[in-house]
Parts: sequence; structure tokens; C-alpha cells
Amino acid sequence: MITELLFIGIAFLLAGVVIPLVTMGTDRKAARTVSLCCTIGASAVLAVLSLVILLSGEVIAWTAYQTIAGFILTLVIDRLAAFFILIIAAVSGSVAIYSTSYIEYLHGGTRRNLLCASANLFILSMVLVVASGTTLGFFLFWELMAASSFFLVMYEYDDTETKKAGIFYFVMTQLSTLFVMLGVIILYGQTGTFAFTHLPAASSPFLTASFLCLFLGFSIKAGIIPFHKWLPYAHPASPSPISALMSGVMLKIAVYGLVRFLLDVFAPDLWWGVLILAAGTASAVLGIIYALKEHDIKAMLAYSSIENIGIIFVGIGLFVIFTSNNLPALAMLSLLGALFHSLNHAFFKSLLFLTAGSVVYATHTRDIEHMGGLVHRMPYTSGLFFVGAVAIAALPPLNGFASEILIFIPFFSSVAVANPLFKVLLFICLALFALTSALSAACFVKAFGSVFLALPRSEESGDAREVPLPMLAGPALLAGACIVIGLLAVQLFALAGYTVPIPDMLLVGVLLLAMIALTFGTLYFTASRTVRISGTWGCGMPSQQPLTEYSGHGFSEPIDIIFSTIYRTKIRNERSFFDNAGCIFREGIAEIRLLKVFEEYLYLPVARASCRAAKAVSRIHNGCLDTYLLYVFVTVLVMVVWLGWFA
Amino acid sequence: MSPEFILYLVINTAVVLGIAPLFISLIKKVKAWTQGRRGPTVFQTYFMLAKLVKKEVIYSPHSSWIMRVTPIVNIAAILVAALFVPLVFVPEPVGGIGNIILLLYLLALAKFFMALAGLDAGSSFGGMGSSREMSISAIIEPTTIIVFAALVFVFKTLNIFEMFTRSAAAGTLSTPTLILTGISLFIILIVETSRIPVDNPETHLELTMIHEGMILEQSGSNLALMELSAAVKLTLLMALLINLIVPFGLATTLTATGLILALILFLLKGCILAGVIGLFESSMAKMRFFRLPSLFAMAFFFSTLIIIIEVFS
Repeated sequence: MITELLFIGIAFLLAGVVIPLVTMGTDRKAARTVSLCCTIGASAVLAVLSLVILLSGEVIAWTAYQTIAGFILTLVIDRLAAFFILIIAAVSGSVAIYSTSYIEYLHGGTRRNLLCASANLFILSMVLVVASGTTLGFFLFWELMAASSFFLVMYEYDDTETKKAGIFYFVMTQLSTLFVMLGVIILYGQTGTFAFTHLPAASSPFLTASFLCLFLGFSIKAGIIPFHKWLPYAHPASPSPISALMSGVMLKIAVYGLVRFLLDVFAPDLWWGVLILAAGTASAVLGIIYALKEHDIKAMLAYSSIENIGIIFVGIGLFVIFTSNNLPALAMLSLLGALFHSLNHAFFKSLLFLTAGSVVYATHTRDIEHMGGLVHRMPYTSGLFFVGAVAIAALPPLNGFASEILIFIPFFSSVAVANPLFKVLLFICLALFALTSALSAACFVKAFGSVFLALPRSEESGDAREVPLPMLAGPALLAGACIVIGLLAVQLFALAGYTVPIPDMLLVGVLLLAMIALTFGTLYFTASRTVRISGTWGCGMPSQQPLTEYSGHGFSEPIDIIFSTIYRTKIRNERSFFDNAGCIFREGIAEIRLLKVFEEYLYLPVARASCRAAKAVSRIHNGCLDTYLLYVFVTVLVMVVWLGWFA
Repeated sequence: MSPEFILYLVINTAVVLGIAPLFISLIKKVKAWTQGRRGPTVFQTYFMLAKLVKKEVIYSPHSSWIMRVTPIVNIAAILVAALFVPLVFVPEPVGGIGNIILLLYLLALAKFFMALAGLDAGSSFGGMGSSREMSISAIIEPTTIIVFAALVFVFKTLNIFEMFTRSAAAGTLSTPTLILTGISLFIILIVETSRIPVDNPETHLELTMIHEGMILEQSGSNLALMELSAAVKLTLLMALLINLIVPFGLATTLTATGLILALILFLLKGCILAGVIGLFESSMAKMRFFRLPSLFAMAFFFSTLIIIIEVFS
């Protein structure tokens, strides 16, 4: 019965791929709507399926394809897989509802059909990656996921920025696939099987190499610093629902991969945990510091995704460290924290990307300095964005807090780790972790304040109108989920069979309401009810202008200065003169720009080296047939000699 | 939830609301004395709150619902946070009330709303205040969390109620680490309640103000709520310090005499601490904003030292 649900879900998604493709001939809205409805149907079915498996603990397995022994594709859904399918289903459903309206505002005629088809293919590939019962299937669907998401990023391919972003994304995602493939092949060489089999603790260098390859592959996909650069390029370039899917769900698939391999294949060493923890902490801190500097709303959200993935990696790193220290209870807590944060981040980040998409649609700009005043013009969108901002700033009683406290608690209990140096290391990471969450609160005060509050800072922003109902309904579902999951965190864990030592957020919520009622009641009977509307006090200025407002740049300026060692700037000052004494100025360039550290010191050198290598190789290819014949002849000769001597 | 706990909720809220304005006026009084002035009476803050409540509320035409809900959400979050720090009577914790991490984040919730309200009216003063407040609260956060971690380390519990019970059972000044922690907590108190040398609660100059800048657009009963919540926040942080370092007299069972005794002792200890804060504020000038990170870095290394001492002893 449950297995059938999986087939129905996959069938829906396949229908969603096929329908818009066969109707490409005419530009009709109906085909796209049907396709998106298929996505919604598939989401509903898959959500039911995953909830059933999560609650019952049943495992479904189905052999999809087998050619020769060993090369086998199976679909296995256990509780871990079901959990991630739930994330995929919930987010895809909301995104599809949003897109029914959003997609009609995009340019591109029947290209929009392609967008629908690729989006469905993308969702299908993510479901299949998670459901894969073998490492072979995992790798194959991983590549399908990479390819289909590339088409989604390239939607506006005629834009030069998009072209650049697309190539960048393509290279990074292929690198990720390459490393995953290497990891899987090394693993196959060691075990002789593609199944997820648990390996004994003896760590051979091959297994370590395999883990490192997989970790690298997953890190690139998840956007762990320093492999993060594709996120702030790809997200602004792609349509908002796609950003929501990629940031909300695709990054979690990498998390799933890491957790799956750590749980079911490897017996991790302590230093693996330290590596994951260090990578996670670095991403969390640097991600949010870069996010604060960003003024493109979608790039800012992308950097904030890097931060949140960092938090998830911190949880996984703690899990490995505690497991190696033989502290299963704390390890379990950290892992639950990491997984719970994956779910929560999927919800609030998709919510933020979708509402940001509405804002970009309404104001025709992505620069938050040209927004402002939208709270009066788009009241519902602003309310939804607000829920997302509170959740991502990890404020109680919403869901972001519930998962961050679940990672905080193992940190606070790390006294139990035997090695004193490790204790100190963990406390340092704890301090940085706390810094991250405080900075993210600052970042989202800035985001909400600049986008929605005060006066509009551009004409477009002043003329903005509220978006249609489907573009509110999709995010509203996610916002509702953020609130419910936050309030019922303890109860939901109990339902899944875990007792977690986090405070009962429902009680906190009730207490907050009680205090609000108390205040309101007291004021109702005592306070004056006269309200007057009068201009903001401007220190003697005759009228208030948008120009005098505190801008987003201004808001983050103190943090910019405090962390100025991290935001490296390059100052260039070149002048030429007509005379030798340097008196009569001819021309000059002066610029101050933010140094893109990772790009200039890591990505470009690697790219230049590979270009040089390619150039060296290309010298062999001179395009002359005789030369190629010579190559064949020489090769045959060498092989004959080789075989003669050695065989 | 037991009747005892419900009674605790009522008592704690009543006590904190009752005495919070007193401590604010006391600090002002001490500062006035050191400047050679007589200063207002110690009941001045009560009078001021009563006056503000009777006045009309003025909203900017550009302000939104954020401005209207912030005072109420702010005081509600701070009052719930105050429930996490028992002033006079410590009951058995229920459902994670008293969790030290949640306490910190409830204060952050209040701050989040306050900072948004600062931006809401489009005034550059409000924006300046919000920006500075969020920056300062971000860079003090590592220190706060390490101090809290040290507390968790020493008391082996995440719950403030249990910490207080344990420190009350152990008597006073139990370990040297606790004294060190007390000093760190004092720094956090100064920073979190926007006092000199971090912020000056008495000026309205754009160069110096942080907290006052954020609430510049508030008026009438809304301003009263903002002022009251700042007072409650001061009191709850003072209570955290007092009941951890000098817990004697703290009631752990619910008796009328015990409660009254605890209340009197708490008032006494609170007045002394308020005096210390007043003297501390009078003894130095406000620091330049960008000099603050080095002050915080000092506090941070100080609290890390506690952890290192604890780990290796």
C-alpha cells in the first residue's frame, strides 16, 4: 500500500515533466498550471507517505532495475529518507502553489513550459537521490539533480549575468558530482558492493580518501566555505521559486548524503568530526558576516543559507565527535538538532525566498537600498516575510530557535568529553556559534527594516502593489508550518519517539500571550486612548525625505568596521601627469572595492592552472589528420611492445 | 502545572514589576550624589510612568504595525524572561521554564522588535540606535554565552532555578570561579542594560545614544512600557547576579515569613548593587563606540579563562 504511494508520487512528477513538454507548440497557461498541479499532487502524496513511514518506522524497499549482479538500482525508504522526502514534498508543494501565479509574470513564452518540466524533473531527481538504496543509484540521480538544476538556473540565458552564473554553477556542481563519483568508486573498490553496508572501524587510507572525496562533494553542493561561491551567483540569477527549491531543498540533499554515509557506511574517526565541525563553524560565521554586507536581497539570503548549512554541519560534526567519545545520548541530540535544523531551514528559507521573489516582482529591483515602505503597500507579504525573519533569527517561540537550542544543549554539555583540549575547542566553537545567531538577528533586522519599513526609496517601491493570492498562499503554508513546528517542537519529537531536553515552547507561547493580555488589559483600563498622527521628529528639518533615512549600508556600517579584517578592501590609486613634477594631472583611476578573497586566491588560481593545462594538452591537437594517424600508429606500437614484454 | 508554580508566576511578576522602577531611580540618585546634586526622589520613576500612561500616544504617519505592537511584545517578552529568574522564591522548574539559553533568546526577541521599531518611523536617530544596538548585542553574544556555559559547567544544569537552589544550598561565594563569573555577569549587565561606558542612558545626543535613540519615536503609554521593560530587564539581570553570588535568604519553600524575609533581603542586596552600578557609572566616561569591541574582547578572554580554569582543575 505504501509502496504504491511512492509510485503515484513519481507518476505525478513524471506527468509534470511530460505535459508541458508535449504542449510546447502553443504558449498556453493551462499546460503549465496542470504541470504545477501535478507537483502539488505529488507533494501531497509523498508527504503522506513520509509521515506514515516516520511514525510507523516501516521500511519500504523496491528493486527498480538490475542488469548484472552488483549493478543494481533499488529504492529504499527508511525513516531518515522519509524525513528528507518530507522536506522535499512540503517545500515543493508550497513552491508549486506560488509558481502557478509567479510563472505567468515571467517572460519567455513557451520557455516557461521548459521551466515547469525541469522543475518537476529536479524535484523527482531529489526524491530519487534520497530514496536510492545503493551508492550507484545515489550517484546517478545526483548527476540528474545537478543537470536539471543547471537548466533552472539558466532560465534567463540571454542575460550576461545569468550566463556567467550558470557557467560558474555548472562547473561547481560537476566538481561536486566528480568527487561523489570518486568517493563511490573507491568505496566500491574496498567493499565490492554498491549497497550501503556498514564498514568496520578499522580505518584504511582508502576509506579515509573515500570519505574525504564524499565530504568534498557534499560540501561543494551544500555551499560550505570555501566552496560556497556558486550560491550568491546562482540564486540572484534564477527565478525566485527555483532559488527557494535550491536553497531550501537541494542543499539539504547534500546534508542527507553526508548523514547517510556517516550513519550507514563509515565508522567515523574523531578527526572527521573535528573537520566537519570546523568547516561548519567557519561557514556559519563567515556566511552571516558576508550576508550582512550584501545588498542584493537574494544574494543576502544565499549567504544566509551558507550560514545555516554551517549550523547543520556543526550539529553533524558534534554528532561524530560525541560518537567517538562514546557519548551516544549527546551524539543523538546533536544529530537530531542537525536534522531538525535542516527541516526548519528548508521551511523558513523557502518562505523568505518566495516572499523576496514577490518583493522583487513588485519593485523590479533586487537592491534593498531601492526598496522601503513596502509594509504599507504589501501588508500580507511583509507579514509573511516577518515570520520568516523571526524564525531565521532563531527567536522564540518559532522553529529556528527550537533547532538551534537543540544544538546549543550538546555544546553546553560538552563537559562530558574527556580530553580537556577538546573541551576548550568546543567552547570556542560555541562562542562563534553564538556570535552567528546574534549576527543573523542583526542581518534580518536590517533586511526587514530596509525592505519594508520607513519611506520608499525609489519610485518603483512607492508604486508597489500586493501580489495575487497564490503568491501569498504558498508562503503562508510555510509560515504556518514555522509557527506550528516551533510551538509544538517537544510534542512533535515525542510523537516521533524521542524525548529531547528542550523547553516546552507551547508553555512559553502561552506565557507570552498571557503577558500580552495582562499588559493590554492594564492599559485598557488605565491608559489614555487618545492617538495622534504627527510627523517623525527630524531634528528641525522641514520635511522628511527618504534620503535622510538610515539606509541598509548605514545599518551594517558598525559591523563592517568591527569586522573590517574580514571584509578586505583593495584600494587602487593610479595617476598620470603631463609633466614630470606631477603637477598637471592627466588622468587617473581611484577605486575602493571589496576583495573577493576566495575568488582571487582560490578559484581563479585553480581555474588559471586548469586553463594552462588545457592549453598544453591542446598543442597535441593540431587538427591535421596525418598527425592523428601517427598517434594511433604510435599507440598500437607501444601496446604491442608492452604486451610482448609483460603479458 | 502545580498551584505552587502558578503562585510563583504571580509572585515573581508582581515583585519584579513592583521594584524594577525603584532600582532605576536609585541608580539615578547615586549618580546625582556623586555629581553633588540632590537628585529626584527614589519614587520618581513611578511618577514618571504614571504620567506617561495618562498622556496621548503619537505615531508617525510613516510608521506601521511594528511601531504599535513593539511596546506590548517587548514588555511581554521581558516579563516572561523575568519568570526565568526567580527573585525571592524558587519553585521546582516546570516544562523548561528557567532554561538559561531561552532566557537569552527572549531578551533577544525583545531587542529584535525594539530595533525594528527604531527603523519604522524613518527617523535617522532611530536607525542609528537600532544599528548600534544590534552590533553591540552581536559582539557581546560570545562573551554572554561563554559566561552562561561557565555557569552550566559549575552547576551542572541548564536551568536557572536549579542553579539558584544549588547555590542557596551551598551558601555564599562557593568557588573562586563563581566570583570571576560574577564579574563577567556584571559586565554583561552593564552592556545589556545600555549603561556607561557602553551607552549613556541620560543623553539625547545623536553621537552617544543607543537605547534612547531606538525609543525616541515612542510616546505616551508606549514609552511607559518601553521604560518599564528596560527597568524589568535591569532587575532580572541584577537578580541573576545576586541570587547566584549571594543567595542567602532565597526562599525554596513557599511560606509567608520566608517570602517576606526573602523580599526584604533581596531589596537590600538589590539596593546595594544599584549603588555599585551608580558608582561604577559615575567613575568613568562613555567609551567611543569603536573602542567597545576591545572592552568586549577583554570580557571574552576573561570568561574563557574561567572555562579553562574549570576544565584543567
